[in-house]
Amino acid sequence: MVMRRYLLSRLFLAVPTVFGVVTLVFLLIHLVPGDPVDVMLGETARAADKVRLRHQLGLDRPLPIQYARYLRRLARADLGRSLHSGRPVRRMIVARYPATLELAAGALFFAVLLAAPLGIAAAARPNSLLDALCRGGALVGAALPNFWLGPLLILMFAIAVEWAPVSGRDGLAHLVLPALTLGMGMAAVLIRMLRATLLERLGDDYIRTARAKGASEPRVVLTHALRNAVLPVVTVLGLQAGGLLAGAIITETVFAWPGIGRLTLLAIQTRDYPLVQGCMLVIALTYVLINLCTDLLYGAIDPRLRTRQ
Amino acid sequence: MFPFPLPCIATRLATEKLPRHASAVNFLFRLPLRVAVVLVAWACVACNSAPATPPGYVVVGLENGPLTLDPRFATDATAAQIGDLLFDGLTRVDRQSRRLPHLAASWDTPDDRTYVFHLQPGFRFADGQPVTATDVQATYDSVRDARSQSPKRQALEPIEAVDVLDPLTVRFRLREPFAPFMEETGLGTLSARQIATAPTRPLVTPLGSGPFHLTEFSLDERVVAARNDTYPLGRPRLAGVIFKVVPDAVTRLLELRRGSLDLVQNGIEPDALGWVRQQSDLLVLTSPGTTFQYIGINLQDSPLNDVRVRRAIAHGIDRDAIVATILKGLATVATGLLPPTHWAYNPHVTTYAYNPKRAKVLLDRAGYPDPDGDGPRPRFHLSYKTTTVELRRRIGEVLQEQLAQIGIALDIRSYEWATFYNDIRKGNFQLYSLAWVGIEDPDIYFQTCHSSQVPPLGNNRGYFHEDTIDQLTEAARHTADVDERRRLYAEVQRRVAQLLPVIPLWWTTNVAVMNRRLQGYEIHPNASYVSLRTAWIEER
Repeated sequence: MVMRRYLLSRLFLAVPTVFGVVTLVFLLIHLVPGDPVDVMLGETARAADKVRLRHQLGLDRPLPIQYARYLRRLARADLGRSLHSGRPVRRMIVARYPATLELAAGALFFAVLLAAPLGIAAAARPNSLLDALCRGGALVGAALPNFWLGPLLILMFAIAVEWAPVSGRDGLAHLVLPALTLGMGMAAVLIRMLRATLLERLGDDYIRTARAKGASEPRVVLTHALRNAVLPVVTVLGLQAGGLLAGAIITETVFAWPGIGRLTLLAIQTRDYPLVQGCMLVIALTYVLINLCTDLLYGAIDPRLRTRQ
Repeated sequence: MFPFPLPCIATRLATEKLPRHASAVNFLFRLPLRVAVVLVAWACVACNSAPATPPGYVVVGLENGPLTLDPRFATDATAAQIGDLLFDGLTRVDRQSRRLPHLAASWDTPDDRTYVFHLQPGFRFADGQPVTATDVQATYDSVRDARSQSPKRQALEPIEAVDVLDPLTVRFRLREPFAPFMEETGLGTLSARQIATAPTRPLVTPLGSGPFHLTEFSLDERVVAARNDTYPLGRPRLAGVIFKVVPDAVTRLLELRRGSLDLVQNGIEPDALGWVRQQSDLLVLTSPGTTFQYIGINLQDSPLNDVRVRRAIAHGIDRDAIVATILKGLATVATGLLPPTHWAYNPHVTTYAYNPKRAKVLLDRAGYPDPDGDGPRPRFHLSYKTTTVELRRRIGEVLQEQLAQIGIALDIRSYEWATFYNDIRKGNFQLYSLAWVGIEDPDIYFQTCHSSQVPPLGNNRGYFHEDTIDQLTEAARHTADVDERRRLYAEVQRRVAQLLPVIPLWWTTNVAVMNRRLQGYEIHPNASYVSLRTAWIEER
């Protein structure tokens, strides 16, 4: 019951967030220079044709009316049609969104796979050689930009040894390098975060008590210290997972990965209003969903947070 | 060294039955890991449904994908270059930009306002239906439709009516004699039945009658076309073509190196070509192109409205040096809009060799003396707008350095494309750099230099006005006599080179990098992929 109320309260808070994003995107895309009618008809089109098309698209109406019409369509889950390709925006997003989810899931997988053992090992033996390597590696990982790391991984694993394909999305093998590229920065942050919070907990009195009672070291670290070290890491994990969507644009470009990031970029470049709005809405919804999951994880990890609701 | 061995952690994480209070570990590691494993497994299933490259296909790398392939709506260069493989126009353009018979075996001009085209039999759409005069009529009429959102509607404005005389004969009646009309006869023909399904909107997968049939079009991802076995002008030797969008230049290069791309045309940075030439399995082809790079000038702005200042700028730019260093020789210094391969090209025009001394004298005469000799103070400032493309910005920096030598301070402002283009359209600039792609008819001079063609109606973005050029370009578009047109445009080119409404920079050389297994490919001056029709793969 408490959990349900908690969930409902988080969902309720998500509504104004999404509404705010939708409004902001609508305003921004209409304020930046560049006329979609010019792009569609070409610069030499007759003024009468431009007026007619602007009327057809409803772009001649005052902005508040356009916004109201947009919200009305949105309420019917109608995202409109792309101005340039004429395709339904919803269908275009549905075609691209799974690719971005796959990439984000792969990146998350690699990040946790790298960060969990390395972060724990570094904290379990502070100031050792392994700790130094983990900290140094994490620093390098966080500092490497994706547009550099991507081609480097391609050179190593797709050209030198030909273990992976160079780019595209034609099978699981294609996922490995982009996921590794995208997940590397996240892994670096998680390693440092996990090490720091775990080290802090390992110095607490209750850990000394557990050791005095004869608990084995793995048990002390994994069950006693880690439980209390998790909360800040989960926060970062949530933020980073949301950031995977935005950060994926560069990785998608380097690896020719047909995700929603590249679609958004294309839509902005061509001033395709419905497509920009549709893409941003989906990205915002994903962000909200991930944050909601993070909030729920807090509640699950720390019962005090649940009862406080 | 460690209080417990490292593998122990992993083993325990995976297998140890933890006590109830250890749920944190579950949430941090086990749960996300399991979720990620499930997602990746799902990804695996989803990804594996995509097909690999079928045998006999070539894979062509593209920097940008087309927004639409419907020839009635497509305006980007990529769509036009791919479209030549998918659709047939009444005529096609040759290397000298002349119109030759294609879908139409021949044409008559009973009077200077009427063109009658006689179609070749044997062309069939992808659905097996023959191409008829009705399809040609439907294609042109759908563009001319008042409700149409086609950007080509304005270009077809001179057409008064399109009539079907018989299944293989179509007649175009023009409102007035209009020689550039022939350029519009290259419009790809669509099936009348398919047009009826989307008369005013672009078709997602338009059916053509070209040497290849479109089988898949994923926006910004790939275009797949399979061989048309019944193509009457010769069955292609390739089984098909896959155009794959690879936006990153380095990745395109590495794809070529790996062999997963067979051809990249005009998509490799000049800096990388030295490395490419060292690769034994890659071949570099170069060929003169028609893309004209220039500096646009706002002639309403002082001091640029003084022709001496414009000439000084032209003399102050060392184009040979830029071509040799930044472009690695992959361009030819331009004298005007029309390239030397064009049928109307006039080589006898005023040229502006790099001559800083002459430039300084011209600026002095124009009333802009250098305030402090060789000192740091410039004669005047100018803004120069360009895009955020790295090569364009580098060229801007070189221009800045060179013009500083003659006392002009250039402020470079680079913008994202849509913002940049919006500024150019609105006349919000002093100098800018752009290129004309796919120049065919010399009527481009009317569109860019005639005083009636200022924005928003035309492309005279610098607001140039000269009565003689107005008269010459008007006369040239209303005569069908090729020799007379050549004479008129020779004079237009001569006068434009003297008055410099824009400063010509260079014609870009087309560069194709391809796998040596691809044989028979030739670069077309307008970078069309049309020669893939006769290319083949040599398996080694």
